[in-house]
Amino acid sequence: MSTPVQLTLAVGEPAGPGLVSLAEADAIAALAARVGIAAIRIADASPAGSALDPTVVAAYLAGRHPGLGFVPELSTTHQAPYNTARRVLSLDRATGGRIGLALKAGEGDEVSDANAPDPTASDPAARWAEYALVLTRLWESFPREALIGDQAAAIVVEDSLIAAIDHAGAYYRVAGPLDGPSSVQGRPVLVADLFDVDAVAATADVVVVDHDRASDADAALTQALQGIGRSRADVALFGRVPVRLEAAALAPALAADLRAWRDERRLDGIELVPGGDADEVSTVLRELVPLLAERDTAAPSTLRAAFGLPEFEAVAA
Amino acid sequence: MPRQLHLNVNILNAGVFGGSWRFPGTDGTASYTIEHYTSIAKKAEEAKLDAVFLADSPLLDPSIRHRTGNNLEPSTVLARIAAETEHIGLIGTLSSSYNDPVEVARRLGDLDYVTGGRYGWNVVTTAGAVAARNFGRAEEPAHALRYERAAAFTERVVADWAARTALVSPQGRPVVVQAGGSSDGRRLASRIGEVIFSAEQDLDKARAFRTEIREGAVAFGRKADEVVVLPGLSTVIGSTEAEALERRELLDEILPDAYARWRLAGQLGISLDGLADDEPIPAELLVDPDVAGGSQTFYRVVKAIIDAERPTLGQLLKKLSGSGGHRIITGTPEQIADDIETWFQAGAADGFNVMPDVLPSGLDDFADHVVPELRRRGLFRTEYEGATLRSHLGLGLPPAPTSAGFPVPTLEVASR
Repeated sequence: MSTPVQLTLAVGEPAGPGLVSLAEADAIAALAARVGIAAIRIADASPAGSALDPTVVAAYLAGRHPGLGFVPELSTTHQAPYNTARRVLSLDRATGGRIGLALKAGEGDEVSDANAPDPTASDPAARWAEYALVLTRLWESFPREALIGDQAAAIVVEDSLIAAIDHAGAYYRVAGPLDGPSSVQGRPVLVADLFDVDAVAATADVVVVDHDRASDADAALTQALQGIGRSRADVALFGRVPVRLEAAALAPALAADLRAWRDERRLDGIELVPGGDADEVSTVLRELVPLLAERDTAAPSTLRAAFGLPEFEAVAA
Repeated sequence: MPRQLHLNVNILNAGVFGGSWRFPGTDGTASYTIEHYTSIAKKAEEAKLDAVFLADSPLLDPSIRHRTGNNLEPSTVLARIAAETEHIGLIGTLSSSYNDPVEVARRLGDLDYVTGGRYGWNVVTTAGAVAARNFGRAEEPAHALRYERAAAFTERVVADWAARTALVSPQGRPVVVQAGGSSDGRRLASRIGEVIFSAEQDLDKARAFRTEIREGAVAFGRKADEVVVLPGLSTVIGSTEAEALERRELLDEILPDAYARWRLAGQLGISLDGLADDEPIPAELLVDPDVAGGSQTFYRVVKAIIDAERPTLGQLLKKLSGSGGHRIITGTPEQIADDIETWFQAGAADGFNVMPDVLPSGLDDFADHVVPELRRRGLFRTEYEGATLRSHLGLGLPPAPTSAGFPVPTLEVASR
């Protein structure tokens, strides 16, 4: 059975343990594509120094490594949802559907806050849920089928297929629609860290749980999904594990441990967070990942497929 | 070496005309693919142009049924182009009205780093209720307030860039590009703009504008040569004059009429319903540009045409051809080079933001035929001398603004 493996990298300065340079990230991405990594998650921050903006890094690396998925992290803080939706969908379209968004819970942004529908609302989990709903609805607001480009009839877009979302919640009021059509994978894959299972259950495609909190994650997620009419099979549960691999000889034992953990916790995928420098990340990729991913050589056509997710279905408004 | 021209190509999706996407031999939806932008950028780099330029507004244009719109977000497109090119400058528009300055400072500073110092930020304010509604507002904020925010926003962002100790690009920080021609916009240009993207129909007015901006910069304690003024120039190129005119005619024929009327009505802020093509534009309904809402830049340009020429609706639609108000020049490569040289030598422009009629074919013709002609005249580079946008533009790194630290005013609208 093949297991999707996601690799987390912070890219920036100074290069060293926990932070790789842009040039190192470029070499790592090339290696990652060869060993069957499904996606590189680009971290928004690093305790080791200054991390580059993940959407910029993802756009740059995706131009150089077309077969690989990328999952930039992005926080609700400082980012109005309309801007986030546009930017991430642009990336997803530009990569032929190989983008996910790891949406981090945070605070508001200066533009939205100034006209927030409920200025007293301040729960990060509720904000995350509303923000994610706005994103998913915007990502579906301009269906691909609407772009017809009929030169003879002078019709670019069948605009009757496009609809405003007219969202009004506690944190945001967003009309839509977006300016560009949906991507080949339906919409970008929405990745949620498991901070509040009820908040993320409605919209997340992938839920990531930390290694030391994984024991009851499958059961909690299954229950939360059932409660809102979604199936556990619609969502991939990834376990996140920090890895150090200073010697290649340690890889087989570590891989065996991780496979056992995956099976015991009913995980659908693994997110590796290497703590070493670029050389050590390369060792992880060369020695450990092939033993975990067990993937055929052909790269899946979209990130959704690489993560083993079912075909796209719209989230109910 | 004599003073050198600066040339950008504006990748305005399928081209600047309302009917560009319908031009024979053109893939009508190519501008919805990333390859359209990367391949045009590669062509522009082969021609040693200064930069590619991307316009942007955070909205779906209501005219989408009949003409292609900008549809990919510039910062990610430019990072992608950077991955596939080495020298060409990368200018992208981001709204000061509907972004958070903290986030913009980080993302665009990082984009400059990732591109190796090739990024320029075209700071705009965003007019209109359509965009406002995507950001919790019911209507567009007042023009003066938009510009007050833009000035404080830009200074805040530039000050953040100047304060960086890590992730500093080879050009120090992004070039600030400014594109508003209103009174408020001109003040902002003089205060902080390094490249000014203007809309000018007339050489004398363009020269006066460039002089005003340069003198304004000096009044703000800057040097006149720290500002590069690039009017938009829409080009229609033919190997003979007759062929060029034929191409221009064809662009008129394929212009979706519903789009042209809609766009003009929006620009003028008046209804054109019921007005026949052979009737004059009701000039008495047009307000003074300084009190107009929406984009004052293009209102100013179109109103000047109406005041000077008193055209019928049909004549005006044909003159603009859905292109909005940038000057259109139609001719052979030699004629276009003549025009560019005339404006350049007259002090009306430091170069141009070239807006090809149809993309990619219009840029191919410009790069293959007009650029070599400009080189023969000693007006344009044959090789890049450096690898940063500042290097291409001949711009140093000016001192960062000292007035930063003032709060950036929010665009509050009573819409609750």
